[in-house]
Amino acid sequence: MSDLKFNIDQPDLPEDRINKHKDFKKLMYNYQSATKPLYKTPLYKNKKVFLIILLILLVMFVIVEVIEKEETPAPANTQQPK
Amino acid sequence: MNAHHKTDTELKLELQQVEAAKQNPARFDVLYDKYYKSIFVFVHRRTGNEDLSADIVSQVFLKALINIRKYEYKGVPFSAWLFRIAFNEINMYFRKNNAGRVVSLDQGGIMTIMAEVQEEDHSEAQQRMMKALKEMGEEDTQLIELRFFEKRSFAEVGNIVGITENNAKVKVYRILEKIKKIMGNNR
Repeated sequence: MSDLKFNIDQPDLPEDRINKHKDFKKLMYNYQSATKPLYKTPLYKNKKVFLIILLILLVMFVIVEVIEKEETPAPANTQQPK
Repeated sequence: MNAHHKTDTELKLELQQVEAAKQNPARFDVLYDKYYKSIFVFVHRRTGNEDLSADIVSQVFLKALINIRKYEYKGVPFSAWLFRIAFNEINMYFRKNNAGRVVSLDQGGIMTIMAEVQEEDHSEAQQRMMKALKEMGEEDTQLIELRFFEKRSFAEVGNIVGITENNAKVKVYRILEKIKKIMGNNR
């Protein structure tokens, strides 16, 4: 059984109450925020992107470090047997 | 006049307004002013909450503005597209929040349904009818609401729900049969 509540013969909200919520400027502001390209938003304002980039850089750093370590030849054992 | 019944000149003018908004989003203000009230009423009848309705309506217009370039004229008023977005937004809200839906009824609509299911219109039968509506799925109740309590044509109902006019007609009559059966069982 669905969870329904019945309103019988309830009048619609008066026009002035509805118009109170009408705000085209706010709509335009939300539209601009929603459609602004990512590259136009300063990095520090977008925490998510900032963290993702930081994470990528960190992973790249670790990979480079590991590769460098593998490429460096191990020092030869110079000790002469007695 | 029903929003769906517009003259060709009105539809043409509206199409020009839509094209202007596609070029410049600031020109969307004309359509926003024109349909704000009807979309608000549509949402409020289903939520019963003023602030929640305002939030949903702002989402509806934002989505419409973001996607206006994808809008294609199909011979029906622009409002049909807005109502469809509103319908989906309301459903999404109730699915996400698992909240109870509101169904706005009026005596005229109740009487029409009673006549359709061949029941006498008295309070006991009305109670049985509401019980039947509760027993039906959400989709069925929404169709009944659109057709009998908002007095929309089958073409409009189809447009809003995303089905054809014929399909809407068939579905509504099947639902009425279901109501009749449930009401008979609850006698």
